[in-house]
Amino acid sequence: MGFAYLVALLISIFGMAMLDRRFGLFFWRDGWRAFVTLLVGVVFFLIWDIVGIDAGVFFRGETSFMTGVQLAPELPLEEVFFLVLLCWLTMNLLAGSRLVLDAVERRRAASTALSTGGDRA
Amino acid sequence: MTYWAINAVFLGLVAVTAGAALLLRWARTRSTRASSTHGSLAAVVRAAGLSTAVLLVMTAVFDNVMIGVGLVGYDESRISGAFVGIAPLEDFAYAVAALVLLPSVWTLLGSRSETEAAKAAGESRRAGSGSVSGPDASTADAEEAR
Repeated sequence: MGFAYLVALLISIFGMAMLDRRFGLFFWRDGWRAFVTLLVGVVFFLIWDIVGIDAGVFFRGETSFMTGVQLAPELPLEEVFFLVLLCWLTMNLLAGSRLVLDAVERRRAASTALSTGGDRA
Repeated sequence: MTYWAINAVFLGLVAVTAGAALLLRWARTRSTRASSTHGSLAAVVRAAGLSTAVLLVMTAVFDNVMIGVGLVGYDESRISGAFVGIAPLEDFAYAVAALVLLPSVWTLLGSRSETEAAKAAGESRRAGSGSVSGPDASTADAEEAR
């Protein structure tokens, strides 16, 4: 029984929460809407997982990194946290990319304005 | 059932959700005539492109690590045999689905502030167009509700 994978996931999810809080990306943009979006995503991916497991496409590896707790046959507890991380990361990325690109554009516009101002001086 | 067959079903569901979200967004933009409040389409596309690139690279890295340390295994007879490192190409469908499904759900849920903004924009438009009678205004409201 190991906690390495679960702990790694929890640390990563904590990182997502901190980025979200700092930049107002997902939950800190609209909490209720984010909660429902995340729930829909996690449930959707869990169903996808279960169908895959049922069809025998993939299965839980035998490793000492996981707790061994299973929510369903071959579906480890850790998968739920992995899916939360995937969904939160995706939404943070989409909102964060927008912020980064906007900032780059503003900086470029500002430096252009500055250089044309400098030419005149 | 192969991994690709399962992915096709779920990616189909994602596509339907995305279609519904695009339709709603289009209707909302049309009713407010204010696409600028959501930013230009080009900005949205660029942000989506950057996110996609980052998420696919992260998926490639972490999926390889997860499979490498033995967190998950695959039945080789049910995967296509196309790999990125040791990660089956099929696994990337999860990342693609997340990138399309989640913002679609977010859009479909709408937000109270956006609905109010749409309403306010609609009202100012009506006020700006001068004498609008009662029945006309209620028609406009019905349009926004749709």
